[in-house]
Amino acid sequence: MTLFAYVLVYSGLTALCLAMNRHHRQVRKGPRRKAVCISLRVSGWLILAASLLLACLSASSWSIAAVGWVGALSIAALVLVALLPWAPRLVGKLALAAPPIGLLGSLIA
Amino acid sequence: MQRLRQLATILGTPAQLIASRVVAAILGGYIFASIVALLLARILPVPAADALMVALLMSFLLYALAVLWVFAARTASLAWLGLALPALLFGVTAWAIGR
Amino acid sequence: MTDGLRQSMSSLHTWGGLLVGWILYFIFLTGTLGYFDTEIDRWMRPELPLRSSAISAEETVERGLIRLNDVAPAAERWRVELAHRGNDTGAHISWRTGRARDGAPGVFGYEPLEEAGTAARRTGGGQLLYQMHYRLHYLDENDAAWIVGFCAMSMLVTILSGVICHKRIFRDFFTFRPRKGARSWLDAHNVLGVLALPFHIMITYSGLVFFMFMYMPYVLDEVYRLDETSQLRFFDNAYPSEPEYPRRSGAQAPLAPIEPILLASAAHGGQLVAVAIHNPGDATARIVVTRAPNTVRSAPQRLTYDGVTGEPIEAPGAAPAAQSAYDALIGLHEGLFAGPFLRWLYFVSGLMGSGMIATGLVLWTVKRGSRQTSGSCVHAVGRLNAVTIIGLPIGIAAYFWANRLLPVDFEHRATWEAHTLFGSWAFTLIHAVMRPVKRAWIELPAVASALFFLLPLINALTTDRHLGVTLPHDGLPGDWALAGFDLTALAVGLIFGATAWYLRVRQGHALSETESASLPVMRPRVKVLR
Repeated sequence: MTLFAYVLVYSGLTALCLAMNRHHRQVRKGPRRKAVCISLRVSGWLILAASLLLACLSASSWSIAAVGWVGALSIAALVLVALLPWAPRLVGKLALAAPPIGLLGSLIA
Repeated sequence: MQRLRQLATILGTPAQLIASRVVAAILGGYIFASIVALLLARILPVPAADALMVALLMSFLLYALAVLWVFAARTASLAWLGLALPALLFGVTAWAIGR
Repeated sequence: MTDGLRQSMSSLHTWGGLLVGWILYFIFLTGTLGYFDTEIDRWMRPELPLRSSAISAEETVERGLIRLNDVAPAAERWRVELAHRGNDTGAHISWRTGRARDGAPGVFGYEPLEEAGTAARRTGGGQLLYQMHYRLHYLDENDAAWIVGFCAMSMLVTILSGVICHKRIFRDFFTFRPRKGARSWLDAHNVLGVLALPFHIMITYSGLVFFMFMYMPYVLDEVYRLDETSQLRFFDNAYPSEPEYPRRSGAQAPLAPIEPILLASAAHGGQLVAVAIHNPGDATARIVVTRAPNTVRSAPQRLTYDGVTGEPIEAPGAAPAAQSAYDALIGLHEGLFAGPFLRWLYFVSGLMGSGMIATGLVLWTVKRGSRQTSGSCVHAVGRLNAVTIIGLPIGIAAYFWANRLLPVDFEHRATWEAHTLFGSWAFTLIHAVMRPVKRAWIELPAVASALFFLLPLINALTTDRHLGVTLPHDGLPGDWALAGFDLTALAVGLIFGATAWYLRVRQGHALSETESASLPVMRPRVKVLR
């Protein structure tokens, strides 16, 4: 489940990223409603908080899980930063695909 | 007055001001951090060994903040003053407690 | 935040970073390799058995205890220590007999458990490589500690001033605009710095904490009045020593079986590190199982059991808060608690730190324009950048090449492996000085690419621990640590190759642009009237 939590970090981060005008424009052409931005931001923070909670609760040591969560945050952000200029269409798709894949991976491992 | 003005121009070239700040940052910052750490080690209301640990752990942050102050201060003299006055105050307090 | 403050912090950041940037890159890169020091150790000693065929930790302990019973049945203390991170001697047993009345230590015995361990080639291994990040090699250790401390302090100031002068740190969080010259380098520098900012601050601060008693001696002296015995008092207060174990009572009692004790200790988590038995065969026997920490705090877990009944004995209480903070910082820096996944996270974060320093150094030259004359300051810095950023990896690759190519029975091969690292690095300096800056930035990555890419091949030609053996095949599990090393070398070679290729293409474009700019415009301008 810890793996699932770390993968969720990517989705949460993407939501926060797409809430910003500049990056929303990179991924999706056309105007965006303010409501969409707000909902993305709120859901982004919620997912991040949930992932931290899940990581700490599912691991044997909460301090190690928290360290891993911070590390996952850095890596996820790095992936996002690499995708935005070079493969913007993958950004949204990956954010949606990541949780089920992560869940599957967690259950298998 | 003339003498003072001459002295000010000798001590005021840009290179020397920067050098002055660098010395204040590296040397002055270290002394400042040591003194504040010493005060912390003496006044913290915890057992002596713990107080010393906390003080030492914090000393690097204090050093860094002192260096930031030295370069953020508007003039070089203010930079020195901003370190020296608190250091003196804290130093005397620490010495007084230590007796 | 006023512009004046931002301006002064920006200057502080630039100069603080530039002056120690090259050493910091060395510290960061060699330190980052340390998260895989044991794996590098094993790759550099190919005579050791494959991990898949190695016996389990529990079995090693049992074999060790049997051997100890043969060798030193009447000892005061037995100890079986397993191979683990931070231990470069491999699994071994040790014992102590005859603790004298006046407190003198008595006779010690030592014997390695892995038979091949004694036959493996002499090498500094991954341990030597990562220890360079605070020992710097060729220098007295204390001098090196002071230099590294100065650089670490400078790094801390540079990080803080960088955060202060970064105007839109949240808005620019995900911003990276490639192919825009200096702006791209700034974006890369920002991204690598901000995205792993917690790691960078933690690693720098905890690095300083490692030597804090040495860096701030006056505080310690003043508080405990420069007195030797008082200073010992501090260390006793801060670091409670191991409890005294009772002496042999003379009453014989069989030792409790070790397997259930090891099983019980496994519930506390962490890898098994060592098993010590005090007064074996006596009624006062104690079994102390040491396991790796299962929290971030660096202190290992010592679990004590009665040696006859196997019942656990109460452990001493938790350390005070300040001690815990210290342990946590040291533990976070070393990352000994980290399993394989977390260690890769640490490794990538360390690479991001090295990249942050590298992009900062390059940004300095790019901002000041590369159209300057050949002998200028900017070019000198550009050369030093190439030598450090690409030259150090070349040196590290040469270190691994030397490990495979130096004769196995050569007495001083460990020393000469290190000489090869620094010698190759020095060669890159000569190369960079003699070549134009732009060519150096293509040729050095090309050399690095070749050295890393061919490393697995050299491995296959000189040993039998190559990818054909270490990757799982034919139902055999292989050895992922060794395979991972070769695979990483291939990946690094590809990255350097891509870098050299990209720079070559970019320079080709730049050259053709300047050429076409000097040619007269041939196409007529047609004005379309509507």
